[in-house]
Amino acid sequence: MLWIAIRMLTGDAQKFYGLVFGIAFSTLLITQQLTIFVNLIERGASGVYNVSSADVWVMDPVSRTTDVAYAMPSTALDKVRSVPGVEWAVPHLRAQASVRTKDGDLEGVAVIGVDDATLIGLPKSMVEGSIEVLSQPDSVIIDDVGTTRMFPGQSPIGERLELNDQRAVIRGIADAIPSFTSTVVLYTKYSQALNFVPGTRNRLSFVLVGAEDPLQAKALSERIEDETGLKAQTRDEFAQDGIDFIIENTGIPLNFGITVALGFIVGVAIVGLTFSLFIRDNIKQFGALKAIGVTNAKIRRMVAVQAGLVGLVGYGLGVVGTVFFIWGFSSNPTFKGFYIPWQIPLISLVAVFLILALTGWLALRNVLKTEPASVFR
Amino acid sequence: MGTPIDTTAIGGCRPEAAICTRAVTRDFQAGQQTITVLHGIDLDIRAGELTFLVGESGSGKTTLISIMCGILWPTQGEVKVFGTDIYELSDSDLVEFRLQNIGFIFQQYNLIPSIDAANNAAVPLIAQGMDRLEARERAVAMLEKLNIGDQADKLPRQLSGGQQQRVAIARALVHEPRLVVCDEPTAALDASSGRRVMDLLRDVAVAEDRACIIVTHDNRIFDLADRILVLEDGRITHDGKDMPEGH
Amino acid sequence: MALDLKNLSFSRQILPLIAIVGLLAAVAFILAGLPDRELSEPGREPPRAPEQLAAEARVAGSGVVEPSSETIQIGSALSGLITGLYVQPGDRVGEGDLLFTVDDRAVRAQLREADAAIAEARAAIVEAESSRNTAASQLALYRNVEDPAAVSRAEVIRAEGEATAAGERLRLARARLDAAQARAGSARTEIARLKVRAPIAGEILAVNIRKGEYVSTMGGGGAQPFIEMGQTSPLHVRIDIDEEQAPRLALGAPATVSPRGASDKQVEALFVRAEPLVVPKRSLTNSAAERVDVRVLQVIYQLPETNGLFRVGQQVDAYIAAEGADQ
Repeated sequence: MLWIAIRMLTGDAQKFYGLVFGIAFSTLLITQQLTIFVNLIERGASGVYNVSSADVWVMDPVSRTTDVAYAMPSTALDKVRSVPGVEWAVPHLRAQASVRTKDGDLEGVAVIGVDDATLIGLPKSMVEGSIEVLSQPDSVIIDDVGTTRMFPGQSPIGERLELNDQRAVIRGIADAIPSFTSTVVLYTKYSQALNFVPGTRNRLSFVLVGAEDPLQAKALSERIEDETGLKAQTRDEFAQDGIDFIIENTGIPLNFGITVALGFIVGVAIVGLTFSLFIRDNIKQFGALKAIGVTNAKIRRMVAVQAGLVGLVGYGLGVVGTVFFIWGFSSNPTFKGFYIPWQIPLISLVAVFLILALTGWLALRNVLKTEPASVFR
Repeated sequence: MGTPIDTTAIGGCRPEAAICTRAVTRDFQAGQQTITVLHGIDLDIRAGELTFLVGESGSGKTTLISIMCGILWPTQGEVKVFGTDIYELSDSDLVEFRLQNIGFIFQQYNLIPSIDAANNAAVPLIAQGMDRLEARERAVAMLEKLNIGDQADKLPRQLSGGQQQRVAIARALVHEPRLVVCDEPTAALDASSGRRVMDLLRDVAVAEDRACIIVTHDNRIFDLADRILVLEDGRITHDGKDMPEGH
Repeated sequence: MALDLKNLSFSRQILPLIAIVGLLAAVAFILAGLPDRELSEPGREPPRAPEQLAAEARVAGSGVVEPSSETIQIGSALSGLITGLYVQPGDRVGEGDLLFTVDDRAVRAQLREADAAIAEARAAIVEAESSRNTAASQLALYRNVEDPAAVSRAEVIRAEGEATAAGERLRLARARLDAAQARAGSARTEIARLKVRAPIAGEILAVNIRKGEYVSTMGGGGAQPFIEMGQTSPLHVRIDIDEEQAPRLALGAPATVSPRGASDKQVEALFVRAEPLVVPKRSLTNSAAERVDVRVLQVIYQLPETNGLFRVGQQVDAYIAAEGADQ
């Protein structure tokens, strides 16, 4: 019988493709918009995720995100190191600076000073050069998206910059996720960064901590807060702080929420109408089947299979469309690091399920209400 | 055709009756009014006969046939089909009973447009849960009996009206039901096709243990009936081999 | 559904197939595209707390390696050109070993002058002695003459005067000799002062002068010391402890010390003393700005012999047990 149901559905090509289009369109809209939304707000956490080895971030109690941070005295590092459970702790500096390029243009950059000895705080991988270049004097490493902004169409290696009246030479390109504002990022040694950033007395923005037991990072962060009076956030918490900051300070969630809701509504509208029309067209056949001796449960299953096929094809095409979108734009620096979180296709799957369940239920009501006796009229 | 049955007798059904109705009434609500369509129908249908149910529009013949084949509940009364009191069955048992025992031929054929003739004819078997290929084989065999075996692969819209009707007949008979109900089989056909279809139906459908009820008002085919029942305003007014005068 | 090529339906078979294949590809793409947020171990070993302190109360600090004598900045008592330099950085010297010499030609000339004066004085003494002897003999002669008329009174008085004068000249000549000898001694002392010697046994850490350079005792404010030296066996390390952490420190407990950049090489350093004076933290991160808002307790630990792992001036990270830790 289910096979007959599928034949019934695909027999009416117009409505079948209408349904598939409706579902595909909804899926595409929901998946793609949610993907962009999630990736955009996760830009707020890119500073945290770019540092791959720190379990806990320690900062001044008033600091909020990687970019909104208040500096601490340099002995904070020793205080943190004194806390049991801290396997290691290194200094980390983040500051804004203005850089003068060779052409004389002024560009705002983020200077990130990583621990001199261990270079903890650099992104995991490099596009060009090795992290060892930082041992050369006046070296900085630029991030890859910054490269496209500051040196479009040319290699930045060997370029000289002027930072706080100091000479800085770009000797490497890091593979990093850009920040929300896509600021150019220059990585250098902590001691070098102190020179590059005109400073106040306190310069230490963060202390990066490795936990003895990474699984106990949360407990460790609480202990650090207790013993030092500083604010300690685990990596995930601090990433969430960055995301929350974007959510609280921009209209992005509302905008994307509206689009996703629109996708859902459009899906319900297109699919609901088409499905109802399809069922109405076939109501006589359903009536005949009911008279012949097909139970309501079987009819429900038939409609469910029809909805399932429409859902499968439409959802598949919608997800593939999203994948093509992300894939197609992956080389664009604006979309660098964009990915589809696995939860999002599941969310759109639930949305598709809801759309089909809702419209299928509405359409089925007619069928189930149909008296088998009506076939004799 | 055996001894005539006293259709007015009140009481239990005879065991040899294929369908037996006792004091069946049916009311419909129309706004505030209650319209009584059937007034205490007592009827016995015998197996092995082609029974015609004849009446004007609104005489209640569609209601009666619906009640007799288990798709419309009577307001009052008792209906036994081959000894089973069908309205005492649970809903799902009643559906299953229809599936096993009753073949339907609808006025509009109600074929599924997107599957071919053989598959349309095989629908009851498939609904019974038979393997699709086996069901199709049996449906093709039935179509061959109805002389349209060569049309088995065609979609309904590629068939003429008479051919579609024959596919519908095949669908009604493919699962060897004991009761065949046929609603206006010739209404949509021209005289010659209607005649041919009816001849075929009579040849194939009528069997020793099968009851066959045809609802019609097509007087061209009354001569094929073994028994004609005339329904007027919810009452049986005639029961006999031939039509009464004046019709 | 049996796959019958003739009856292959686009919408019933191909499209769902496309959808399923597409979905599988999408799943692969999504899974492959998920960002790598795994925590990774740092590429280079960061300083870690020693194992026995890992879960204990502890105090961390950073510090600088210094000689156990602290660094001695050698100066010069006298100014002048450097004429001889006898040590190089890294040389081990004994107490009193010559380090460098300053130009001593002028003083040597003075010495020779003094020597000449000594010779002259000695000659004068000899001459004065002989004339005194002559005068004394003459006077004795006159005195032995019994006949007062034989020698006039005046003759006697003159002879007495001559004898006295000769004695005076002798004393004068002796005084001159003393003066000349004193001058020579002073010149020799100057010559010795122009030879700069090691005040203690130790290692030469830095030499900032070269032969022929002029050294001045006046020395400008930020002038480099001529030679830096200190006792480097054993080495000491001066650990800065944040004043807030200082009360927790278990004074007397050994410290676990590792040099910057080689934090896997930890050694145990013995407690020497804590400086009585809490001082402002000096930034060790090349920044010109001093951090005057934080004060630190400086604690001195003695490093074991490590064959060049630690060098004077090197920054180190240290972990010390806190009060109440099981040590």
